[in-house]
Order: sequence, then structure tokens, then C-alpha cells
Amino acid sequence: MHVYIYDTFLSDKKFARTLAKIEARITDLGLSGKVGRLGVTKKTFDLVKDEIKRGAKTIIAVGNDETVEKIVRCMPGAKTPLGIIPIGKENRIAESLGIPSELEACDILSARRVEKIGLGVIGDFYFLSKISTTSDNLKLQLDSGYSVELKRSGPVISIVNLPTADIALPEGFCFSPQDGLLRLLIEAREKKNVIFSRKNFESVFAFSKATVKSAKPIIFNDLIKVSGAIEIEAKKNALSVIVGKNRKF
Amino acid sequence: MFAKTNDNSGMNLKEVETIVGPSVKVKGDFHCGGNIIVEGEVEGNLMCGNVLQIKSGSRITADVSAKEAVIGGEVKGNIKVSGFLEITETAKILGDIEAGIVSIARGAVFNGNCSMAKERQNGKEGRKAEERHE
Repeated sequence: MHVYIYDTFLSDKKFARTLAKIEARITDLGLSGKVGRLGVTKKTFDLVKDEIKRGAKTIIAVGNDETVEKIVRCMPGAKTPLGIIPIGKENRIAESLGIPSELEACDILSARRVEKIGLGVIGDFYFLSKISTTSDNLKLQLDSGYSVELKRSGPVISIVNLPTADIALPEGFCFSPQDGLLRLLIEAREKKNVIFSRKNFESVFAFSKATVKSAKPIIFNDLIKVSGAIEIEAKKNALSVIVGKNRKF
Repeated sequence: MFAKTNDNSGMNLKEVETIVGPSVKVKGDFHCGGNIIVEGEVEGNLMCGNVLQIKSGSRITADVSAKEAVIGGEVKGNIKVSGFLEITETAKILGDIEAGIVSIARGAVFNGNCSMAKERQNGKEGRKAEERHE
């Protein structure tokens, strides 16, 4: 059975029409299934785990990037593939996976092109796209061979697994979430007098395992608080995901 | 800084695996199978499996090895390149270099010994002799 997990923001009336269209398309394609709704974190975890245990054929995240990340955290190592139906703003993960819109997402689910991709994990927190912080006094030990230190304060540091459109990579510089590596990207801010300052990455390092050390507590994605030292690791083939033909990797 | 996809080195950014930016200092044994661009500081050992580009303004205190290299920064340490080593006019090298082919631009500072790969010194006859010896 397909299990559709709706994010909480979809209860807003403005999404009713879109949801009705999606549900009609799903029925037409013979992909009807059970609907679950996200609640607090604990319930999300239980909901996804229970459905996988009951033998769900596909877990489908209906919502935006945040929805996908919430569900991914409950799925590492699961054989059940993840499908995505993007709704609302901030759907960069779906875009990278070649899923441009909600109705095309239904057709992509029907085509069921499954790819195994890697995930990143910091401590016990899994992520599909990236984690970022702006903390100073950060030291990263990469692949136990060398360390990276920042000579100035303030740059945004991102650990990226799946590159998305908001990550300003140099032209032609691309990487895949299937290579078993994560990328450490360090941004350089442009001059302050530019009104819409664009951030570029000035440093890129590929690694499979890293230890982050900081004298002060640091926070990644406003969610993960790190004090002292913590490990970040690439988990190869940790997630099966349904992708579109125009995926970016 | 990433506007150009190609520069003097002929390196294409599509193939670059690592970029050490100007605000970064790398310490330790730094190994990379792909191409590397260095604009910051490196201390320890720097081993590159393909093309290494050390840009002007960067400071390397390390023994360096690569398949090919373009050096425009400051290097304190020995440099070993199996193929083509290009030393540009902004380079400052304090250490020995060993390379298959070397090009040193006018204005570059180089204090050390330079040795070429054996097969180049000996020519074809030398190579044949080595093969016989094996």
C-alpha cells in the first residue's frame, strides 16, 4: 500500500484545490493509498516507522523540503522507497530529484524510477540535503587525515549531501548524492555595500567522515546544537527514492 | 572567483574536487585523487592525484606531489610532479623540485635544486636500458 504523509501546513484552505487535483490524479493512476498527517516529531517517527513495518509499498512525502527532511529522518536503511509530491514554496529537494510540480510528481510516482542515494548524519540526526551554521572558532577534522580551520569569522559553513538550486556552486561544479561523500562548503560574503549580496563558495572539500570541534556551542539548521565535538558521516545508499528523468545527478 | 571555467592551467572547474579558499587553513596530510585549487594556506603534506593549482597569494608549508601542477603562490617544501610543472611569475619556491617537464616564468623566485625525471634525462636509450634491466 502507498502511504501519503501530508504536512501540517496543507490543512490550510488555500491548498484544498491543489490537494483535490492531486488526489484525483492519484486515483486515475491507480496509486490510491492511506493518508497520514504529520504531527509533532515523535509522532512523525512512529507514523513512518509503523507504516514501513506494516509493509508500505511507498512512503510519499506531500509537502515541501521540510516535510521531506522530517520523513527522511525516520527512513534511513529502510527498503521502502520515498516518493515526493511537492506543494507550496521551498521545494528544492524535489527539483533536484527531477520532480518539478505536484501533478508531474504523480506521473513520476507511477513510473516508479527508484534510485539509491546517500544521506548525511550528524550525531544521530539524518539529513538529505544540507546542514548549515555560521559559527566561529570551528575546527573540522576531515577523514582523520587533515583539519580545516577558518582564518576569519562569520562565513556560512554548509555540509551538503544533495546539491539544490539555492546552493551557489560554481558553474559546472556538481556532485552526486550517490558517491558516498559529503561536501564541506565555506561561503565567502561579497562586499557589504552591495544591496543584494550574493554569497559564493570559496572552499569545497569532499569527505566521508568528519569531526566538528568548537569551543562555543554551535547550531546547525536551528535544530542541532553541538557542544564540544560531534561526528558527521556520509551513509552511502541509505535511502531509496523515486526520482524523475530530469534529476540533477 | 568562479566566473572562469578555464584558466591558464587548462584546468576545467568541472573536474575540480577540492578548493582551498583564501580564508581557510588546512593542516595535516591532505590527499585528493582529483584536481585541487589552493588559494589559502596548507601545512603538512599535500598530495594531488591529478592537477594541482596553487594560486598567487596562497602559502604552502608542505611537501607537495601531483601529476601536474601550476604554481603561482609561495611554497616552502619539496615539489614532486610526474608530468608538467608550470611555475608562474608570482611563484616563490623554497625547496627542491622534481618534474617530468618544467616551465619557469620570468620573475618567479626559486631557491633549491631542480631534477628532471630519469627517463627524460636518459632519453630513449636510457629507457631501453631500464627495460632490459627489468
